[in-house]
Amino acid sequence: MINIPLIRFADVSKVYHLESGDLTALDHISLDIQDNEFVAIMGPSGSGKSTMMNQLGILDVPTSGELFISGRDVAKITALERTHMRRDMIGYIFQNFYLIPLLSAYENVEYPLILKYKKRDESGKATAILKAVGFDEAMSAHRPTQLSGGQQQRVAIARALVNDPKILLCDEPTGNLDRKTGFQIMDILCGLHSKGKTVIIVTHDPKIAEYADRTITLEDGRIAA
Amino acid sequence: MKDIFFDLSVRSVRLNLMRSILASIGIVIGVVAISSMGMLGTNMQLQVKDQLSSGADTIVITADAVRMGPPGSGSTSSSSSATGITKTQLSKIKLAAGSTSKLVPVYLTNTQFTYGSVPGRGSVYGFNPDDITKFLTIENGTNIGGINDALVGSTFATNFNLKIGNRIRIGQDSDTSRPVLRIVGILAARGMSSDNVNTDNAIIVSDDWYTNQYGGKDIYKQVNVIVKDINTIPDVKTAIDTKLNTDKKTPVVRISDASSRLSGITSSLSSITTFILAIGGISLLVAATSIFNVMMMSVNERIQEIGILLSIGTEKGEVRRMFLYEAVILGILGAGVGGISSLIIGYSVVSYMIGTTKYFFLPESIMYIPVGMAIGLVVCILSGLYPAWMASNMDPIDALRSE
Repeated sequence: MINIPLIRFADVSKVYHLESGDLTALDHISLDIQDNEFVAIMGPSGSGKSTMMNQLGILDVPTSGELFISGRDVAKITALERTHMRRDMIGYIFQNFYLIPLLSAYENVEYPLILKYKKRDESGKATAILKAVGFDEAMSAHRPTQLSGGQQQRVAIARALVNDPKILLCDEPTGNLDRKTGFQIMDILCGLHSKGKTVIIVTHDPKIAEYADRTITLEDGRIAA
Repeated sequence: MKDIFFDLSVRSVRLNLMRSILASIGIVIGVVAISSMGMLGTNMQLQVKDQLSSGADTIVITADAVRMGPPGSGSTSSSSSATGITKTQLSKIKLAAGSTSKLVPVYLTNTQFTYGSVPGRGSVYGFNPDDITKFLTIENGTNIGGINDALVGSTFATNFNLKIGNRIRIGQDSDTSRPVLRIVGILAARGMSSDNVNTDNAIIVSDDWYTNQYGGKDIYKQVNVIVKDINTIPDVKTAIDTKLNTDKKTPVVRISDASSRLSGITSSLSSITTFILAIGGISLLVAATSIFNVMMMSVNERIQEIGILLSIGTEKGEVRRMFLYEAVILGILGAGVGGISSLIIGYSVVSYMIGTTKYFFLPESIMYIPVGMAIGLVVCILSGLYPAWMASNMDPIDALRSE
């Protein structure tokens, strides 16, 4: 039986055409990530980690090569289909949390559900998922600016999970948190991995990378290890 | 169901409330300008139509305008009728108009006079006293009976505080002979009448007194033909034209009725209304720039937020909708306040400029308020199109990097 990976980079390159010349951010990357893997991506600044995350998050498409996510070549689908894949298949957790400032914690979590079902959440899913990350009703009514960094990241995790995505992309999720809160967040991510999610995390911190099943190290846009 | 994108727009407007209000004030001014100016123009037209409709059954015949003769002829007029309607022409008019029509020959000049020691100047109409009651209403007093009797218009009487029995002396102080007229009646106000007989600020004397004083017997300024049936006006006009203007290249009389004069006046008023509406339109153009500016500021301040929305699966159309809602909110705010202000300001302007508001609430006048509001709203939406398009087409990666 052929085992089709959840994510496949097939000789993927990403070249940025700058005034100073072409910059190759990803250089002929070939990589498979299986369903329910926990992968850490490490590497120095400028090694191509962010570019790889943008490719995984379907925010960008390769200059050459093919990237398959759940068996679909992301460069060969329409922009709207890519948007729907981002909404339905991928949960994005950012270093800077990136919550929507005009919405409350609850509304931030409810937002992806509204995008998907085109109506307000009446199932209680947003409330349940907030509860799972330690938010009660009173805290859920707060705007992001009224929350601590750890609380904001919990809301961001809840938002990433609410549409039950297959893949969780975490870009330095503990980068803006104190050590204790950072480990709490990692415990949540490990719990999600154990429940079947594929977790891909970009980090500079080897301690964080230890949580992963596999570590991929990038250097100058290539896989070094 | 409340739309989350509408909620986001409302919150964005609230967050920048002062800026939003200032931008909306531009729309308020534009809506008020368009609505008020439109209503003013329409009220003017309605008033003129109303006043002219009082003479709708009257055909006015005047001698054709002085026409220059062919070069070298030495003539300044193509016919003797250039100075007025002659007795012969009057007879022809009478024949053409038929027995059911009433004819009113009109003498007219301007004169100076004094009442007591107060000097004045005004029009003097000369009529056959029997004709006066055919088309004028004597509000106080009686019709002209004696040779030195006179009627005066209502404005004239008010301005000089004249009463029945008072006497006015005609001519300048330096004149050797200054006849005296005794006022026997005051006419009802006519306003601007379509038959060219504007008596409100005039003295009305008998035709005999007039010709004794000023000469020109049987040379009339104009002849009014009052028809019995208003539908016969075109036929009567044609009959008079055929009878008198035998040479079509050099007509001797000009024949007009209320509808032709009305269309001329309303056409002029329409042009004025369009012009002042265009001035109102310019203020909306300025408002559009202001709304565009505010929308661009809103987009530029929210670049990172747009990046977040796009990166977590918001469709471009949804981002576009969010910014268009913002433009609509500003538009509704501006148009709403503008509509209410238009009602108040428009009413005051019409009352002050026209002197009456009896036409203000008629549909053709009041419709300028919803029209102005709709234009204001459309201008807002148009101003928001480009910023909304720009927001929806941002690259989410670049937008997320924005600080």
